[in-house]
Amino acid sequence: MVDGGRGEQRREGIERPPSLISESPEERVIKALLEAFPTAVTDFKKLRQGVLRARIERRDLFKACMMLRDQQGFEHLSMISAVEYDTRFEVVYHITSYQNRLLVELITTTPKEDPSVDSISSIWGGANWQEREAYDLMGVKFNNHPKLERILLPSDYLYHPLRKDFKG
Amino acid sequence: MAEMWINMGPQHPMTHGLWNLRIKVDGETIVDAEPVVGYLHRGIEKLAEARTYTQVIPITDRLCYGASLAWSHLYCTAAEDLMGVEVPERAEYLRVAALEMQRIASHLMWLAAYAADLGAMIGFIYSMRDREVFIDLLQALTGSRITYNYPRIGGVAHDAPPDFARDSLRACDYMEKKLKEYEDLYEGSKVFMLRNEGVGILSKEDAMNLGITGPSLRGSGVKCDVRKDMPYSVYPEMDFEAASHPDGDCYSRYRVRMDEMYQSCKIIRQAVTKMPAGKWRVVAPRNGPVGTGIGRVEDPRGEGMMYIVGDGTDRPYRLKIRSPIFVSVSAAPKLLVGYKVADVVAIMGGLDMCIGETDR
Repeated sequence: MVDGGRGEQRREGIERPPSLISESPEERVIKALLEAFPTAVTDFKKLRQGVLRARIERRDLFKACMMLRDQQGFEHLSMISAVEYDTRFEVVYHITSYQNRLLVELITTTPKEDPSVDSISSIWGGANWQEREAYDLMGVKFNNHPKLERILLPSDYLYHPLRKDFKG
Repeated sequence: MAEMWINMGPQHPMTHGLWNLRIKVDGETIVDAEPVVGYLHRGIEKLAEARTYTQVIPITDRLCYGASLAWSHLYCTAAEDLMGVEVPERAEYLRVAALEMQRIASHLMWLAAYAADLGAMIGFIYSMRDREVFIDLLQALTGSRITYNYPRIGGVAHDAPPDFARDSLRACDYMEKKLKEYEDLYEGSKVFMLRNEGVGILSKEDAMNLGITGPSLRGSGVKCDVRKDMPYSVYPEMDFEAASHPDGDCYSRYRVRMDEMYQSCKIIRQAVTKMPAGKWRVVAPRNGPVGTGIGRVEDPRGEGMMYIVGDGTDRPYRLKIRSPIFVSVSAAPKLLVGYKVADVVAIMGGLDMCIGETDR
């Protein structure tokens, strides 16, 4: 229904060159990310209608988020998840665009010895507490965060309980 | 006058659950605020890693006592996305009907608490009485009253009982009549309106940037609803509107929730009348594949999301839960600064706090 609605708008609208008509919002985001960060962005995939996935190097994460907000209309950061694997942590950002009805899953990897990524709480205020939560439960540090303190657990707690080596 | 910090909570009638709001006041005016959460942290994300995919469903019910069905449904959609399970159509209609009943029950509980906070004690009693109608319907459908354990990966647990459609239609008729009464009661009350209008104003841009979702975001004039924007289940088949109100104050958020209850009645009517016959559950595989799945739904309080990572065993490797209120409450400084201490109750009450999902 959503797709049909948007398709109709495009047909009724003013005439545009054929390349623009065939370009879906997903393709536009992929193209913009690849043009801006040709080496940092890998593994693009359209998961389903309106949902994209991409991996990005952690050094370019902040700039990519900035670009997504300012140029691609992603107004809302839905969720930040930290996942522990054998040799690395993955921080997964789900970023939403209300106007284009898109969801981008941006995955960045950080090594176990130095689990840190740049904080994006200056881009989306909603990231502030979610980054604190990821730090609290998983021990991933966020550089330049305004107040990186424990949030759900007491401030004198010693462990990061969502790590796999923590056994209740 | 010297500024000072005041604790509202953890034991305070405003908190509705166990959390603490620290406010810095200059006389009666709030100059800074800091919510403190975590009192109810049970480690549900960690618990889920030690349970099989099916065993996680009852614990996700415990995320929110006001809207437990929304959370177990969200978990099931995320697990279905991971496993690639197709849900039978009848199950989707049953889920939508149950979810909308849950939404009305949850909004009525909010209204009850909100009215009591703002001095309209009769509102508490009326709302709780009418919430019972939908709790009874859900009990007939699922067998329980608060934590339903109803959705399953690949469908729902039971089919609808006989006369479920008839009872649902009656309940909707009753509710719409009662909603008009509520409107007269609250909007005719000078006290209620004085404490709501122009209080806690949140602009459209701030609301989006701070990650506020659900009725509070639509109360700031942003017309977005996951049921419309990224439709799941059979919501594309339903004729309804995402209620929104442009003012961004407490009254606006109240108005959105009231309108949403009308829309929910409309959806329940369509769901129970259009419901096709057939299977209501398919068997899902015991082991999930290696991969990830996401679920994204419009919870009664906002955008609920789950990210689930499977490693090929029968237990989720990682389950991340996005709670709408956890993010909304972090916007408290933006909402409160500049208002008086007496407005705190209305502003924070208007967010529909639920500590179960905030702390997880």
